[in-house]
Amino acid sequence: MPFIDTLLSGQLLFSALVTGSIYALVALGLNLVYGTMRMLNVAHGDLVTLGAYAAFWAFTLWGVSPLLAAPVVAVLGAALGYGLYRGVFRHLLGAGAANPGRMEGNSLLLFFGLSILLQNAAAMAFTPNNRAYTYLGDVVHLGGVAMTGNRIAALLIAGTTCIGVALFLSRSSAGLAMRAVIERRDAAYIVGVDVDRVQWSSFAMGFGSAALAGVLMSMLEQFSPFSGFPFTIAGFIVIILGGLGNVMAGLAAALLLGVIETYGVALTSANLRSVLLYGCFVGALLLFPNGVFARRGARG
Amino acid sequence: MDKTLAGRLSLALLVFGTAGLCVLPFVANDYIVGTGLTLLMWLALTQSWCVLSKLTGYISLGHVVFYGLGAYLVVATWNQVPLVLAVLGAGVLAAAFAALVGLPVLRVKGPYFVILTFGLSELVKYSIMAAESANGTASRILFGTPDLVLIYFAMFVLALLATALLRWASGSRFGHGLRSLRENEEAAETLGVPVVRYKLIAFVLSAAIPGMVGGVMALRSTYFVVGQVFDPMISITVIAMALLGGGDTVRGPIFGVLFLFLLQELLWASAPLLYMIILGTILIVFVLLVPDGIVGLFARRARPPGPTR
Repeated sequence: MPFIDTLLSGQLLFSALVTGSIYALVALGLNLVYGTMRMLNVAHGDLVTLGAYAAFWAFTLWGVSPLLAAPVVAVLGAALGYGLYRGVFRHLLGAGAANPGRMEGNSLLLFFGLSILLQNAAAMAFTPNNRAYTYLGDVVHLGGVAMTGNRIAALLIAGTTCIGVALFLSRSSAGLAMRAVIERRDAAYIVGVDVDRVQWSSFAMGFGSAALAGVLMSMLEQFSPFSGFPFTIAGFIVIILGGLGNVMAGLAAALLLGVIETYGVALTSANLRSVLLYGCFVGALLLFPNGVFARRGARG
Repeated sequence: MDKTLAGRLSLALLVFGTAGLCVLPFVANDYIVGTGLTLLMWLALTQSWCVLSKLTGYISLGHVVFYGLGAYLVVATWNQVPLVLAVLGAGVLAAAFAALVGLPVLRVKGPYFVILTFGLSELVKYSIMAAESANGTASRILFGTPDLVLIYFAMFVLALLATALLRWASGSRFGHGLRSLRENEEAAETLGVPVVRYKLIAFVLSAAIPGMVGGVMALRSTYFVVGQVFDPMISITVIAMALLGGGDTVRGPIFGVLFLFLLQELLWASAPLLYMIILGTILIVFVLLVPDGIVGLFARRARPPGPTR
C-alpha cells in the first residue's frame, strides 16, 4: 500500500524535523522573554512574520539571498527588541514590581495590542495577500528521501542556532546569569546578577531569533500579515512541554510537535492542521495547569 | 446614588439612553435600527464578560466561543425548532459548555488562562469548521428570518439582562467573593470563600448571555459562515471595551462600549485596517497610561489626589 510506504519512508520524518526545528527556534525566543520577565509575548509570531517579509522584500527587490539576509534581519529584530524594552517594557516591569499578577495580565494585553498593530500595519503597507518566493528549490535525493535545498538549509540553521544558544546558556557566564534569572530572579539579584542587562539581552535575543525564524519560514511556505499567530501558539506548546530556560528539552518538545503535526495531517487531512495544533495546546495547558512551574518548582 | 461626575453622567446616560433605545425602532430607518442593534450587542457581550473577567480578574480571551456556539445552534436547528426555544437553547448550550469545561479551565491561572481561553475558542471554531466541511456545508443561507424590530427588542432585553446581571453580581455577597479571589485567591479560600464554586458559577453565568446574543445575531445576517461567528476579533473588541471603560460596576462597560462603538462606526467600513491599528494603539495606551479606564479618569478628576476632607 503506497500510503503506508509514505508513512514509513523518511520523507515525512524529514518534513517533521524541518517543522520541528523552526518551532524550536520560535519557542526559544518566547522562552527567554517569558522566563526572565514573566511576560507572555503573544506578538512573537508577528515578529516571525516581519522577518519573513524582510527576507521576501530583500529577495524580490534586490535579489539578496535569504541566507545572507538572515543575520542582518536577526540583528534588526534584536535592535527592535532592545528599543521596545528600553522604551516601553522596562517602565512596565518597574511599575509592576508591586503586583506581579497584574503586571503579567497587563503585559499580555500590551503585547496583544502590539500584535494587532503589527498585523494590520503590515497588511496596510504590504497588502493582506499571501506572499511566497522560490529559493534553493532544487530537489536533492539523500538515502531515498527527496529534499529541497531550502529545507535542508532551514533545518541546519535553526538546529545550530538552538544548540548554540543552549551552549551559551550552559557555558558562558552571561548565559548562566540568564538562567539564574529564569530560575530564581530574586536570588540572582541578590548574588549580583545585573538583572537589567539580562532582561534587555533576553528581549534582543528573543526578538532576533523570532526574526531569524521568519527568514527561514519564508523560504518554505507562503505567508501573510496574519499568519504569525499559529507560530506563537506552537511556541507556547513547546515551552509548556519543554520547560522554562531549558533549550534542549524545548528542542525535543518542538520535534515532537513537528512529528504530531506532520503525521497527524498526513493521516487525516490538511483541514485538521489547526485542530491538531490548538488541540495540543489546550491539552498541554490542561495537563500542566500552571505551565512549567508546577514541575520545576521554581516559582518566584 | 453617588455624586461624582461619572455617577451623574452615567445616570443621565442610563435614563435617556434606555428611553431613546426604546423608541428608536419606531422613529428611525432600518440602517439606524441596525446600528442600534450592534450597539446593544456589544453592550450585552461586554457586560456579561465583566461578570467573570472583571470581577475575578480571570481575563477571558475566548468570549466569542459562547457567541459562536449560540449562533451555530440557532442556525443548525433552523426551521426545525421554534425560534424562541432555539434562542433559549443557545443560552443553555453556551452555559452547559462553560460548565463542562469550567473546572479544568479555571484551574489554569494568570496569563495562561488568557491564552488558554483563546486557544479553546479557536479549537472549537476549527473543529466545527472541519465537521462542516466534512459534511459539505461550508456556509448556510437562512430564508424568512424575523423582522429587524423583533430582533432589536430581543437584543434590547439581552442587554438589559446582562447589565442587571453584572449590577446584581457586583453588589452581592457573591460578587464580593469574586472580588476577594481577584485580590488574592489563597487568602480568599482561607477565609472561607468557596473559590472553585464561585468561579464556576461566574463562568457559567457570563456564558449564557453571549450564547443567546449569538443566537439572535445569527438571525440578523441571513448568510452564515462558521469563521465569522467565531471571529476572535469579537473577543478582543469586548476586552478593549471593558478595559477602556474601566471600573468595577456596570457604568464602565457602558462608557467603553459607547466610545469604541463610535470609533467603529466611523472607521470600520471605510478603513478597517486603520481601525484595527487604532484599536491596538488604544490597548497599549490604556494599559500603560490609563489602567483604570474612562471611569478612573472621571474619578481622578472628581477626587483630586491627596487626602480628602
